[in-house]
Amino acid sequence: MIDELSIRLQTYLAPKLAAPDLVVSDLARIPGGASRETYRFRARYAKDGKSIERALILRRDPAASLIETDRTTEFRAYRAFHELGLPVPEPIALELDAAALERPFFIMEEITDCAVGSILAPDPYGPHREKVGQQFWSVLGRIAKPDPGDIGLGDFDGARDRTTCWSHELARWEKVIDEDESEPQPIARAAIRWLRRNPPPPAQKISVVHGDYRTGNFLVDAKGDIRAILDWEMAHLGDPLEDLAWALDPLWSHGDPAHPAGTVARDRAIAIWEESGGLCAETQALAWWEIFASLKGLAIWISAAREYAEGRNTEAVNAFSGWYCLAFHNKVLADRLGGAP
Amino acid sequence: MKPEVDQILGISAGQLMTSLVPLLPNSYAQGSSAVLSFMMLFAAQEYERGAEIRATDNAEMRMVLGLLAPIVDDAELKKKLEDAAISTDPSLLISKLNQSNAHLRALLIALHTHLESQGSDAARAGERRIWDVLKASAARRLLNPPGG
Repeated sequence: MIDELSIRLQTYLAPKLAAPDLVVSDLARIPGGASRETYRFRARYAKDGKSIERALILRRDPAASLIETDRTTEFRAYRAFHELGLPVPEPIALELDAAALERPFFIMEEITDCAVGSILAPDPYGPHREKVGQQFWSVLGRIAKPDPGDIGLGDFDGARDRTTCWSHELARWEKVIDEDESEPQPIARAAIRWLRRNPPPPAQKISVVHGDYRTGNFLVDAKGDIRAILDWEMAHLGDPLEDLAWALDPLWSHGDPAHPAGTVARDRAIAIWEESGGLCAETQALAWWEIFASLKGLAIWISAAREYAEGRNTEAVNAFSGWYCLAFHNKVLADRLGGAP
Repeated sequence: MKPEVDQILGISAGQLMTSLVPLLPNSYAQGSSAVLSFMMLFAAQEYERGAEIRATDNAEMRMVLGLLAPIVDDAELKKKLEDAAISTDPSLLISKLNQSNAHLRALLIALHTHLESQGSDAARAGERRIWDVLKASAARRLLNPPGG
């Protein structure tokens, strides 16, 4: 299968890169989440008398996806933020026609010699925790900074009105739970009712929201520099606090919510984000978005469990999400809304 | 049975991680197999505690439904709560416990929603009792990650 995919990829890429002698090699599947199949490969070709070797990534739609995400959205977000100079891989090609590789896909630069932090690792960044934290929270502020229209993303899905960011996202994820729950979810339902009864203030601005900015979705090199922010498939327009709250969530805190994302102290993380983005994390508004973040997590894990249980996507990570992560976020929400024991 | 199922799963997960995963040809296969070994460790935990968790959840939900039924003014809901409160689990099979659990959860949601719409102190106290049940259930179902 890999050999056949290599040949088809080669056939597709050669004209795209104006390199008729292009050869694809070393194609291998790598972990990349349940919503896309991810492969790394090498493309070798000659250009202007020089021999070129490029390390590239193929992200192909699976037969079934955890959350229906738009690869066009993901590709455009990569392009916009790569051009802004953020640590984002260079996107190379987007193909929506299934003829080339059986399903839609896109190709981007591979960032080599890096690692992602596991959410189960107790101290994923070790001596680089401070440096990673400074960059992690600062980059998140920089994502929120530009006007979406100025970077060509003004037509992204999401709220256009600062007063409706919260209700737009709440309705989106409530619908996911309505459609995908396999059994009644009393904590998720109570959270939805609480969020609706206690709306946050209007967003301070409409920003591009990454949608899944967290441990596991960025690459760090051996010196502790963040080299790539990945997985933009849930990018949309909304309240920048949505991304901050998601990144602060205890599930990505490596057992220590006082140091979110396994990095710096929570207050400092928020201050770095505020300074970098020119934004304010007002306490009450952030508290609403943190409850929402855990509910959004539940919705994603409920979907994962359903996909797995019904055999549509039996990636091991879906079983993990639908079991471990679901139980974790139920506990977080029950303690937050019901009062910590 | 000796060895017990949880022991078999735990040892198998360890062998998978230490002996087999390093032999796999690429990081996708290695990563997926590592997650599979986590699933085996979680399954080992659940083998030991699964029936107990569900039976306890069901007993606590029946208790709170019965306790709060008298303050519900919706006759139809009240009757359903009273019937559920005196129901029992016919079997300790996980599938049967899950069926009861889903029915009781649906009633708990209905009760919780109803009380939130009421203005009385009794309703507020009832909400707190429901949250106590939900918090206990969530804590009970939390999984211990490998090494955690």
